[in-house]
Amino acid sequence: MAESTAIQLKRRQGLVAVALRRLRGEVPFYLLLLFVSFLLLFPFYWGFITSLKFEKEIFDFTGNLLWVKNPSLANYQTLFKTPRFFIWLRNTMLVSTVTTVLSVIVSIMAGYSIARLKFRGVTAASVIVFVTYLAPKGLLFVPLAQILNDWNLLGGLPALMITYPTFLIPFCTWLLSGYFSNVPVEPEECAMIDGASRIGAIIRVTLPMAWPGILTAAIFSFTLSWNELLYSLAFVRGEENRLLTNGVMSAFARSDIYFWGPLMAASTLASVPVALLYFLFMDRFVGGITAGATKG
Amino acid sequence: MTVTPVAPHDPTPVVYARARTSGMRWGTLFHRDESLGYILLAPGFIILALLMAYPFVYAVFLSFTSKRIGGPATFVGWENYTKLASTDLFWKTIWNSMYYTLVALVFKFVGGLGVAVMLNRPFVGQRLAKALLLLPWIIPTVFSTLIWWWLFDPAFSVINEVLVVKWKLLSKPIPFLTDGNTAMASLIMVNVWRGVPFFGISFLAAMQAVPDELLEAARVDGATPWRTFWSITFPLIVPVVGVVALISTIGTLGDFDLPFLLTRGGPNDATTMFAVTAYTLSLSSGLIGLGAAVSMTMFPLLAILVVVSLLQVRQRQGVS
Repeated sequence: MAESTAIQLKRRQGLVAVALRRLRGEVPFYLLLLFVSFLLLFPFYWGFITSLKFEKEIFDFTGNLLWVKNPSLANYQTLFKTPRFFIWLRNTMLVSTVTTVLSVIVSIMAGYSIARLKFRGVTAASVIVFVTYLAPKGLLFVPLAQILNDWNLLGGLPALMITYPTFLIPFCTWLLSGYFSNVPVEPEECAMIDGASRIGAIIRVTLPMAWPGILTAAIFSFTLSWNELLYSLAFVRGEENRLLTNGVMSAFARSDIYFWGPLMAASTLASVPVALLYFLFMDRFVGGITAGATKG
Repeated sequence: MTVTPVAPHDPTPVVYARARTSGMRWGTLFHRDESLGYILLAPGFIILALLMAYPFVYAVFLSFTSKRIGGPATFVGWENYTKLASTDLFWKTIWNSMYYTLVALVFKFVGGLGVAVMLNRPFVGQRLAKALLLLPWIIPTVFSTLIWWWLFDPAFSVINEVLVVKWKLLSKPIPFLTDGNTAMASLIMVNVWRGVPFFGISFLAAMQAVPDELLEAARVDGATPWRTFWSITFPLIVPVVGVVALISTIGTLGDFDLPFLLTRGGPNDATTMFAVTAYTLSLSSGLIGLGAAVSMTMFPLLAILVVVSLLQVRQRQGVS
């Protein structure tokens, strides 16, 4: 009896030793991972802790740099008390929502058409979508400003609502056509045999099956709109029409004086919802990018 | 919506019931591939035609005129282009854009490959690591660039503080954005920081699609991990790697946000690039024709890159 427990004990010690040895083998790997994570994530951390500091501490580099001595939410208060902050927030939400809904609906139609229907010119259509997806915004904003001016749209938010879809639609169509080509055709055919119209079958059978793709496209569109800078600088005039991005910058980065506290508070606030969305849907999201990047 | 199962012995081939409510002609129109295809494409393509194709043609036209903000568009032939070719600004723009794009691409490529290899093994916390490492790429550029702006502050950069005061590695602070050469290096650094996660995660997805049997066979045959990677994994992920690199190159070449926010093209035009030069000429100085000509000079290069990516993507589709 005593002998067998001794053997068990020995075996257990052996197992622990093996586990420890294996763990030790992993140490360099985790150190490397830690180092890479630090390089990639330090800016966010620095921005975040700066947003919690008082003006005096922001420029004070004595003591532990990675810690906040007197944390406070004063910078966030300053940010919210900025005149028009909530107008800018509303403008950003409005533009992002309108352009996302519009682009996703239009892209579902085009993506379905390219992925599932056989008609003359479908290949050309997919090539056009890919080419427009690749066209950088820097190529077209000069003539677009002129065209918006001709149409009397330059200066207001509608200018953004109609121009953002030019970079959202190609992207979403590309992504969604990749998704639709992976959704099985049979359920839709069954529904039609049962008497549903083709459009009815698409809406009630195929779209629900493609929802991960649609959701990915919507999240992507929303964040791309939220993130946009060039068009909102070039096509919109006046304090009332600013978006969060250029509004916050105009309020806290005046000529040579930068108010780092509120600027970092704004960066933190703007980043958190986006980061949360991606954490929640990351697997689908990564699948979506690679489907888009490799399938077309 | 429930789908009534079709009896398995049902001998009828797929015969679609026509929509009951709509008239016969509409039913057919929305039913047949040849008509429905065009109907569904129409809204998107009308928007793209009005707001991409038309502006493109308009840009070509504007680049041959002496248009200023609020002024008439008078045809001047190649004058804008010859005028541009005689300025330093123009040649700096081309050189900077190419330099920025190429150097950043090399670093993103190597870094991305490194990150993908590092993550391509089972370990505790892999999911969390993947999510966190993707952050630089998903956080809105404007706001992450603001943070870098603060990190590069001429007087209160924490990077300089650590390197010069705490660790005493440097004798004087790095002029991140105030000296021409370092400003370009700083821009490249931020671009690489943003791009490495995207390259890494895309490469990782491609690596995980490599069949295990192949790697196993190589291992049994005694190949070193290094050899296995370059002889098996890498050739298999080349198509994905190529497309990712091309898409990123096109985006970097037309980049506006980063150079505009961090340096506005300065100091002394040392970091100005296509989009920034076009912006300052056309919208800040009001020289629409000249600005359009700057955008247009980017076009041939873009066209080549787009055609190459297109061929690559189509070739892949043909194979798979």
